[in-house]
Amino acid sequence: MSLLTVRDLSVQYGTVQGGVLAVDRVDLTINRGEFVGLAGESGCGKTTLAMSIPNLLPKYASIVSGSVEFEGKDIATFSESELNTLRWKDVSVIFQGALNALNPVQRIGDQIAEPILIHEPGTSHDEAWRRACELLEAVGIPSARAKSYPHEFSGGMRQRVMIAMSLACKPKLVIADEPITALDVMTQAQILDLLRELSTSFDLSLLLISHDLSVLAETCDRVQVMYAGRAAEAGTASEVFGAGNAAHPYTRRLLNSYPNINGERVFIDGIPGYPPDLSQPQIGCRFAARCSEAIDVCRTSEPDLVAISATHSVACHLAGKSVTHG
Amino acid sequence: MSYLPRKTLLLLGSIFSITTFNFFLFHVIPGDPIRLIARTQKLDAQQVAQLRKDYGLDGSLFSQYLTYLKNLLHGDLGYSFSLHEPVATVLFRALGHTVLLLTFSTLIVVGAGIAIGVFAGSRQGSKKDSMTVIGALVFWSMPTFWVGMLLVFIFGVWFAVLPISGITTPNAVYPTYLSYVLDIGRHLILPTLTLALVDIAFFILITRTAVVEVMGEDYMLTARGKGLPRRRLVWRHGVRNALLPVLTASALYISALVGGAIQVEVVYSWPGMGLLMYNSVLARDYPVLEATFLVSSIVVLLANFISDIMYRVLDPRVTVSQ
Amino acid sequence: MSEQFISEVVADEAPRHRNLFQQLWSDRMGRVGIIMTIVVLVAAIVGPVIWAFDSSAVGADASSILQGPSSAHWLGTDELGRDVFSQFLEGSRVSLLVGVMATLISTIIGAGIGISSGYFTGRLDTTLMAVTDFFLVVPALPLMIAMGAIFGQSLTIIIAIIGLLSWPRTARIIRSQTLTLRERKFVPRARSLGATNWRIIRTHIIPHVLPLMVANTILVVAGAILSEATLAFIGLGDPNRISWGSMLHFAFSSGAVGRGAWWYFMPPGIGILIIVLAFTLVGHAFDRINNPRLRDAA
Repeated sequence: MSLLTVRDLSVQYGTVQGGVLAVDRVDLTINRGEFVGLAGESGCGKTTLAMSIPNLLPKYASIVSGSVEFEGKDIATFSESELNTLRWKDVSVIFQGALNALNPVQRIGDQIAEPILIHEPGTSHDEAWRRACELLEAVGIPSARAKSYPHEFSGGMRQRVMIAMSLACKPKLVIADEPITALDVMTQAQILDLLRELSTSFDLSLLLISHDLSVLAETCDRVQVMYAGRAAEAGTASEVFGAGNAAHPYTRRLLNSYPNINGERVFIDGIPGYPPDLSQPQIGCRFAARCSEAIDVCRTSEPDLVAISATHSVACHLAGKSVTHG
Repeated sequence: MSYLPRKTLLLLGSIFSITTFNFFLFHVIPGDPIRLIARTQKLDAQQVAQLRKDYGLDGSLFSQYLTYLKNLLHGDLGYSFSLHEPVATVLFRALGHTVLLLTFSTLIVVGAGIAIGVFAGSRQGSKKDSMTVIGALVFWSMPTFWVGMLLVFIFGVWFAVLPISGITTPNAVYPTYLSYVLDIGRHLILPTLTLALVDIAFFILITRTAVVEVMGEDYMLTARGKGLPRRRLVWRHGVRNALLPVLTASALYISALVGGAIQVEVVYSWPGMGLLMYNSVLARDYPVLEATFLVSSIVVLLANFISDIMYRVLDPRVTVSQ
Repeated sequence: MSEQFISEVVADEAPRHRNLFQQLWSDRMGRVGIIMTIVVLVAAIVGPVIWAFDSSAVGADASSILQGPSSAHWLGTDELGRDVFSQFLEGSRVSLLVGVMATLISTIIGAGIGISSGYFTGRLDTTLMAVTDFFLVVPALPLMIAMGAIFGQSLTIIIAIIGLLSWPRTARIIRSQTLTLRERKFVPRARSLGATNWRIIRTHIIPHVLPLMVANTILVVAGAILSEATLAFIGLGDPNRISWGSMLHFAFSSGAVGRGAWWYFMPPGIGILIIVLAFTLVGHAFDRINNPRLRDAA
């Protein structure tokens, strides 16, 4: 049985009139113990999709349709206080950019201990502090540093603190949103190893969001590629990222891209244009305008995500017809 | 140089600047202080000459400046012509009354202002928030002295339930010390309320803005993700961070507070520094006016100094020794 | 190199002022503020023409002083038996005049200091900011009172005093904005192309600090009107001109409050409240437009 099943989820930013569907009818499944990756350019809706699981969306965004089933319960309908019993205890988040994700005026030990005290009532302060120290040791930070403040750590160390914090209540699912962006290459590798190792030892499921496809290919069991609020392709890591396997032209382009100095991926073959303006109604395939293989039907009808194997599905009119093309 | 000594040196520098500025304002620009005095007091030429000599004004400007500084250091602030007392004596008496008034109103302003500001800021965009902001803007737009006149009219004249003038009931006989304190307390209510009503508005607005800014920070999303109850989220994580900018902004409040106190003291004849200043303007008693200006400026400088130090203590990112 | 060429090469996206009024109008508080301002302006310009105030029309006997509203005197009479309504209309002019003129002085000084300080930096910046900080902490009202008592009480002097003491915040705000603009690409680029400092300030700095300056200026007007009222209430107003502040001074010193003459002290206070609130609302609306973070989420 799956741990999390997101079905047909749409998330809208802004009001009804000027609203933008940042996530548009997207499915996502995560099984127990599974590592799932979300890929795509910035603004494709991958973070919005992930944040809608524990409903940590900004207040001007809302889930307008679909369901988020966690252990069989639709948590998209949960109230804020119902969600609070589930947040961190069952689903925790490793936020992007750990400098601002940590409270600057609170000792990190207290920040790690805080969810333990909240979600496990009856735990003494000393006990929670002791566990915070253990968690710090587990991510390679001496427990003596529990008394330090976030600004006293380097970027990589703060990311370790963030990981320790995410594990505080032994959650079933950890959402890691670009956990290694903004870190240097050496630190990136260390953090990634740590994440993999702890996810296994804590027996949890991981939803990893990254624009770095190699990271996803290396870490995840399954991956899902998103484009302009829609799922473009989903499958096992080797089905999607394995040499010559990608079924969606966008995925292939993404694999041929390289990150620029801003960490955004730039298409090596100089793909023209930008992702579409989602505040306008979308007709046809959203990638059509940038797709060199687009045919007439791509511009008039939107492709559905269809299975091309038991585990591999793709949203492209050309899928199955021009597989050899890749 | 480390923080505290550097800051103290800056404070001393500011006090020196304000003293010098004061000298220019009252002694150099009008010609000399005797000319100011002669505007209102009928003095013959001999008296003027005598006063000039007493004040050391027969020397050069620089020697006059030195005399001025020397007198200040000895606590000699001159002589009041309208009150026939040394200025320092008059001032010292008034200062206590003003401190009493400011203490109570500041306690109310800070306490209620922060509470209401957090209430509104943590509900940004809601109806409750808009109503709070509009209410605060309305009160902030009222002249303090007019709020005082309104309260005098409502509570002192219309309902006639509270005293509207002075610090004690004239000619009252107090059987116990407690009844004396209670009488002062009753006289304190309206002036305190007046000052608080206008200044709370300011505190609400700055607290609200600070809370709104903080609520949008990444660490607030982390705190939400932890599943914290709303109260803990707002107060533990939000307010603690919002207090730092509030503290910075409250430096401006200190200056506004002094201005408000002058108006309130005038309206309620509260015998403090403000009333003293007002009376010295009416009587053109320049030595008193000069001293009240100098002392209120130095008090504000000191208050700013303290708020700077408090910022350092509250923010772990900077240490006092830094 | 021609100036024409320079301005083409270093063209930066000019800030959009065009929709400012529309944006202001679409902000609910901004709209209320604009309407209130227009009402007061019309009253100040037209009012005294229709209902002229005659300061010599004092009451003949005790029965005509501090009288409540009647058909002859819509807002009753003052302590000398003069009409309060026409006095109230007359008083609006001085309040507005002082508010606007003092703000003009304050904005010129504040913007001048802010821009020079932020643009040239270095020692000039240090010196100017030391002076600014000094005037920022010196309590404004006591200083205004002291200066008023020394320099005398004409309208010009009051405008000068308020204007000369209201600029430090403007200078601070404009300086920090100039500092960030200075680091933007187009300034070093314009400089490398040989543009003079004055030209860069005129074409690249001033247009960009303008929106912020306007928002701040509007708030300064509100403060200046309050300052005028307070000085007049303390008894430092121009004895030859009637303002809302001086009306309140006479209402207070004549004991009108104690005698319950609400028609005398309510109108000027409400007048000040409305005009100050109007400017404050518009100023805050401007702030919200400039700083989207403060904007209420849709």
